[in-house]
Amino acid sequence: MDTFALAAILTGIAASTGAFIWVALRVSSGGSHKQSGADNTYLEGAEKDVEHIFNDEFREELRNRGRLHFEKIIGENAMFLQQDLRLTTSQLNEFMKNEITAKLQDEFSKYEESITDAKQMAIESITKTQEAIEEQRQMMGQQLLKEIEAEKTRMVGRFEENLGDIVNHYVLAAIGNQIDLNDQLDYIISDIEANKEAIIRDLSDGA
Amino acid sequence: MTEHSSTQNYLQLPISVVGYIDIGRLTREMDDLAEFLNQAAIREPGTSMKLPKSSKLFDELVSANNLNMLQKEDRERLQAFLEEVKAKAPRLHISFGADPSPLFLQKLMDYLRGAVHPLVLVQIGLQPNIGAGCVLRSTNKIFDMSLREDFKQKRGLLMKHIANLKTPSETEATS
Repeated sequence: MDTFALAAILTGIAASTGAFIWVALRVSSGGSHKQSGADNTYLEGAEKDVEHIFNDEFREELRNRGRLHFEKIIGENAMFLQQDLRLTTSQLNEFMKNEITAKLQDEFSKYEESITDAKQMAIESITKTQEAIEEQRQMMGQQLLKEIEAEKTRMVGRFEENLGDIVNHYVLAAIGNQIDLNDQLDYIISDIEANKEAIIRDLSDGA
Repeated sequence: MTEHSSTQNYLQLPISVVGYIDIGRLTREMDDLAEFLNQAAIREPGTSMKLPKSSKLFDELVSANNLNMLQKEDRERLQAFLEEVKAKAPRLHISFGADPSPLFLQKLMDYLRGAVHPLVLVQIGLQPNIGAGCVLRSTNKIFDMSLREDFKQKRGLLMKHIANLKTPSETEATS
């Protein structure tokens, strides 16, 4: 940007100087054509005056002024450029800030929405799991009660079925060592007597 | 008892002879004695001889049947009798709750030989869980005459009494 401005200013200065010289030469050449030889004296005088006016000091003065003007223009342009740059930077910052904020807000809202959805899904899933667990618990409880009832019935049945053995075991444990076989002889013989016919029949008819 | 009538050497078993094992032991003893006496018959006269020692059971068997073991006929009769008993005598298996005493066994065998069969052989078993009574096993049948079986048969009566029993809470409530 600076290079282009500098080039444009230099081009402007060169063009104005060229135009000034061209006008001076035109004026001087036009006069000489009209007045031909008679005016040669004036021309020479004018040339001398020109030489007199545009002497080295004057030229140096012009050069200095041009340099100052040029520096001034450069400084102004630099200042404008700096202001413009600052403005642009500021606008760019503002724009970036707004864009980023908007983008972030958008992303945050999406993120929040997705979190809400996930939370909802998790709550639904937990609710379903809890319901399933509760259902399972109730089912298992009923099954357990049924099993306990069946086991109770089975145990009572077994107790009633083996009641004879239980009582016999109890009697044996309680008074088993007091039961003398000799005292049972009459009882045993009476039992054998009661089954005598069956025993004899089995012995005679059996293999 | 057809077998009994066919077992006619008119010999009898003493009540101390209880089981099949006793018969086997007596048979071996009888065979040894017969063998010894047969060998003695072919020996030279005047050679010293020593009779084999007989068991108490064998002595009882011989004396109960009035046999003379020096007589070959008696020996053969006894041998034939023992073989016949071994082959044909009815056998019973009786289990008790405890080991029976010899006196008990004698009384039992006395009864069985009189009531069931004169040559019946008994094998004694032990079943401590039957309590009192016995379990008799014949050829094809089992006669459970134990206290355990008696309790089983009278289970209904026991259940009836249990059903009529009051619980402690009911007893407290009535008092």
